[in-house]
Amino acid sequence: MEKIRKINVLYLLGYIFGPMVITAICFALSAAFFPKGNMAVILIMGPSFLSVGWWCFAGTYIFKQTRKKITARFAEENFKSDQTFFGRGCTVYVDEKQGKIGLVFFWNPKETYIIPASRVERAWVDDGKSGAGFLAGSSRVSFLFIVDGVKVRVDTFTSNQRWRMDSDYILTGISKADMMVEVINTAKGALSKEKTKEEKEDNKKSKEDKSSTTKKDSKTKGKKASK
Amino acid sequence: MGIIKRVKAFFKDDSCNECYSDMDVEKKQLFMFPAMVGHYTHHDDAEYYLNNLIPVSKKADIPTGVYACGATKYTCPKCGHKMVKLYIFLPVRDQEKFEDVLLFNNGEVDDLFK
Repeated sequence: MEKIRKINVLYLLGYIFGPMVITAICFALSAAFFPKGNMAVILIMGPSFLSVGWWCFAGTYIFKQTRKKITARFAEENFKSDQTFFGRGCTVYVDEKQGKIGLVFFWNPKETYIIPASRVERAWVDDGKSGAGFLAGSSRVSFLFIVDGVKVRVDTFTSNQRWRMDSDYILTGISKADMMVEVINTAKGALSKEKTKEEKEDNKKSKEDKSSTTKKDSKTKGKKASK
Repeated sequence: MGIIKRVKAFFKDDSCNECYSDMDVEKKQLFMFPAMVGHYTHHDDAEYYLNNLIPVSKKADIPTGVYACGATKYTCPKCGHKMVKLYIFLPVRDQEKFEDVLLFNNGEVDDLFK
């Protein structure tokens, strides 16, 4: 059973420090061999601009590609996403009928996860409420769930300001989070229902088998007695 | 939606737009509006509401994250003018997030109350 990993440390470090290292090498090359001229400009400006571009756009692009990868897996595994939530750091797909959950993490784009919903221990909403009375407000609403002991938080609303609890932004965020928690719980329920069905069927079969064997035994005993 | 329309919807929805007298509430009905949270789109066409609104008896019957629509039918006691107001909102726990309001003055959505 593959365990959920939210962050691939190598990718995270490479994403942040990779362009820095390349830029530093280019700067060093420029200082050592091309202190002046066109080559110096290329070696200094090129990596700097490319690094900024990388930090701004590469993460989103890679994350999009990972999403494409998981949707390709859906067809293979007969996963039908009834509800999808595109979070900032994580995308959650839920197949309510089959009780499966698909997960993709921004900081772990190599892995795509399709797990049974039964592995979700708990799901709940955090409205981020702080303050009392008319000062109550929030700047983040999210839904959380625990898979294999790993807490996954998906934001439905974030802001650099604090909003009243009855503001449209907060209410929309809460509604989205409530909906996702309900969907995850229904997926969990669907799985347990299927399990109980299977168990009932197994019990029926075992009972039938037992009754047939007892009938056979009684017949053979009767025959022996008549002999 | 504009702030004037919003204010009008809140405070002046029960006034007749022909004789300006207060209108009486004739019927009220709650509907489920088939759109998920964050995916609401405004429709002016009455046919859309006639075809897509699903009547429900109480707010609890509407699944989480789905919009609701409160329809109220008004009649003017003076001139007999009839009007239907559709108030679209998102039920969130014990609160309502206002989304849109539509007024139909020519009986376009009267079939909703049949």
